[in-house]
Amino acid sequence: MGTYILKRIMAIIPIFLLATLLTFGMIHLSPVDPAEAYLSAAHIQSTDEILAQKRHEFGLDQPLHVQYVNSIIKICQFDFGISYLSNKPVWEEVTYRMPATIQLALGSIILAILVSVPLGFLAGIKKNSGIDHFSRLLSFFGASIPSFWLGYLLIFFFSVKLDLFPVEGIGTWQHLVLPSVTLALPLIALYTRLLRASVLENLQEPYVLFARTRGIHEKVIMGKHVLRIAISPMITGLGMNLGKLLTGTIIVEAVFSWPGFGRYFIEAIFNRDVPVIQCYVLLAAGLFIFSNLIVDLIQMCIDPRISRKGGQSQ
Amino acid sequence: MVQGAPMVMSKRKNSKKAILISAIVLILSTLLLGCTNESKENSTSNKDSKDMLTLAWPRDIGEMNPHVYNPSQLFATSMIYEPLVSYQDGGKLKPHLAESWEISKDGKEYTFNLRQDVKFSDGTSFNAEIVKKNFDTILKNVDLHSWLGFITKVDHTEVIDQYTFKLTLKEPYYPTIQELAVVRPVRFLGDAGFPKDGDTSKGVTKPVGTGPWVLEEYKADEYAIFKRNENYWGELPKVKKIKVKVIPDAETRVLAFEKGDLDLIYGEGAISLDAFKQLETSGNYQTSISDPVATRQLVMNTKKEQLSDLRVRQALQYGFNKKAMVDGVTSGLEEKADFILPTNFPYTSDIDVTAIDYNVEKAKALLDEAGWKLPKGKNVREKDGKPLEIELMYDSAESIQKAMAETLQSEWAALGVKLNIVGVELTVQIERFKANDFELNFFSNYGAPYDPHTFVNVVGSEGFGFNEAISAYPNRDELLKQIADVPGTTDEKERQELYSTILESLQDQGAIVPISYIKKIAVYQKDVSNFKFPANRDEHPFTGISIEK
Repeated sequence: MGTYILKRIMAIIPIFLLATLLTFGMIHLSPVDPAEAYLSAAHIQSTDEILAQKRHEFGLDQPLHVQYVNSIIKICQFDFGISYLSNKPVWEEVTYRMPATIQLALGSIILAILVSVPLGFLAGIKKNSGIDHFSRLLSFFGASIPSFWLGYLLIFFFSVKLDLFPVEGIGTWQHLVLPSVTLALPLIALYTRLLRASVLENLQEPYVLFARTRGIHEKVIMGKHVLRIAISPMITGLGMNLGKLLTGTIIVEAVFSWPGFGRYFIEAIFNRDVPVIQCYVLLAAGLFIFSNLIVDLIQMCIDPRISRKGGQSQ
Repeated sequence: MVQGAPMVMSKRKNSKKAILISAIVLILSTLLLGCTNESKENSTSNKDSKDMLTLAWPRDIGEMNPHVYNPSQLFATSMIYEPLVSYQDGGKLKPHLAESWEISKDGKEYTFNLRQDVKFSDGTSFNAEIVKKNFDTILKNVDLHSWLGFITKVDHTEVIDQYTFKLTLKEPYYPTIQELAVVRPVRFLGDAGFPKDGDTSKGVTKPVGTGPWVLEEYKADEYAIFKRNENYWGELPKVKKIKVKVIPDAETRVLAFEKGDLDLIYGEGAISLDAFKQLETSGNYQTSISDPVATRQLVMNTKKEQLSDLRVRQALQYGFNKKAMVDGVTSGLEEKADFILPTNFPYTSDIDVTAIDYNVEKAKALLDEAGWKLPKGKNVREKDGKPLEIELMYDSAESIQKAMAETLQSEWAALGVKLNIVGVELTVQIERFKANDFELNFFSNYGAPYDPHTFVNVVGSEGFGFNEAISAYPNRDELLKQIADVPGTTDEKERQELYSTILESLQDQGAIVPISYIKKIAVYQKDVSNFKFPANRDEHPFTGISIEK
């Protein structure tokens, strides 16, 4: 188990280096000149002199490989440079906004798990029952409605008309409800279907039959064995979505005025704030890598067969 | 792996479970902790909403530093910091922190007599020393502020006595007084706001100003609360506090307003045209529309062959129904423009141009005359075998530009002109305009208090797009000389004549077509009164505003 974890962690390093290389290349391939972007964000009229001076300041006049190595060294120290727009360290700005996004992401994931696990499981073991039909309806709805539209609908009914929750902002638990529901609904749709399919598949497996012939109580078979194995694809999906949730709450953050960092990055993109965009892409890569690792570890706990094969099943 | 004994296995299982459970508990408790902490703050700030005006703004107000630009928001800066001179209706320049001023005959020396009853919000007094300190700090970063003409012309600054300040220029530059009214960078920070090294371009230590408002509470990306400056030298604001909520999404702003969370929404394009109309017709709220703040223009590049002929440019102007287009696209929130600059700006009220009214027959005749004939069986005009095809570039994020481009496309198709419309990103639009890589483009001028001199200067300077776009004007050299002469004029009459000639000529030659006057909108609850748009486009509108609850 220890060697497996170590292996997985070692594998992160080349992936992360690749991610930095891609971001670095992306920034340099883009037609936007960072020096020009800086000047326009600061409302300074760009003359050739000032441009040359700024390029020197940003180290853009050095050879590419030197720039790349320098940027790696800085990234390792969590130095992502200074935002062109606010003149403050990017990392400081990002960490300031991170807690709000994490709060929202966790809120919606917890909600998604609380709803989709029982719903998907029951829909699977009671195929074509009322609850199965309900889960199907909810899934269609959740998968097809765009999140900004759902957000507006929720605000309109639950906030403007019924006055149960605030329209926007952050603060109390009531503020968290509508954005979490908006984010969670597509996840609920996805996980419910995943879990249902997986439960149905597992019910056909021989071990269920053996367990039944051994006279084990149906509740124990379902709860202890079927659910435990069937939940595995859902956890993988969850891991994939954790990265997405932490970086991709942009629309929901905008609709609900949630002061997270998705909104911050959208602003950065509009203003060509290159250091911020670079930080975002790297952070996203890091989060995806990290959340996949976590998922693998959780799956290993639930299904030890994975680590026994020495991680080959990955 | 060795099979463990059952005992060990179950122990390991238990410890795993314990870790899992404690992890979940930890996550949940941080989540709840985060909530409760902030809810306390929130409830205190909402308590006294009776004397508080709440409005929404799409962006965070940013750092309240009067000497730098993005990301700080102009209206908020103008609440804290004040100018020497204020820009009022009709382009009148009124005394503000300067009681009066004298300009020397040669137009180089400006002597300001400062008000003696002004205090900064921290109690320190406003005097010539602090004015000089602010000026000198700004002048240390000339590059940063060179867009503002007079900054590059300053020779030196002097303290004459405690309340007299003198500014000496290297050459006469008449717009100096008008440029002193802009929201940044020439507004005054108190001594306590300066950092140790005195360089405000890197930040201020405290937002200390002389203005009617003081920043009381600020939470980045969430809200800012301004409280009234009780020691304000001028008219004391009627509301005690102003809360600016950051709501980036326009529809959410409308929903929050309808719920009653907001007292006011205002700005340019603050909410969609549909939402504005819907709120207006509901009868439950008050709405208002400002005077023109700028002109939406269509720029024709005369360097391109098909647009080099004046008759073609005129034909295109005769060939579309401007009023119908503006009313239709903007639902009446913008007004059809007859002049390239709004007439409520300085030196722009007396411009005599040939009116061009919608006349399709005349447009067709002009095109025929210019040699663009409609071949039998075709619907696009041709000259020497080349079709009359023009490209119009617009900002793809701006729905008004897009809708107008589509209207022009269909109107001009009836004349036999093929208009290709291309939506691009704003940065691309600006870059292509500057590089003279366009045929038709939308533009809007800077507005009060920057115009008319800034617009005219942009037309005259190379590298902004206009200078090259008017290449085919027969009087181009003369025009450029007049533009270069205007800022140095010391005689009011001579200046007015120059402006009239320049603006008339620019418009009559048809490369710059006025389309509509852009206006600001505001919606507010019924209990809000005395809302008035300031003449200065960037200034806050809270002077005199009150709530009866």
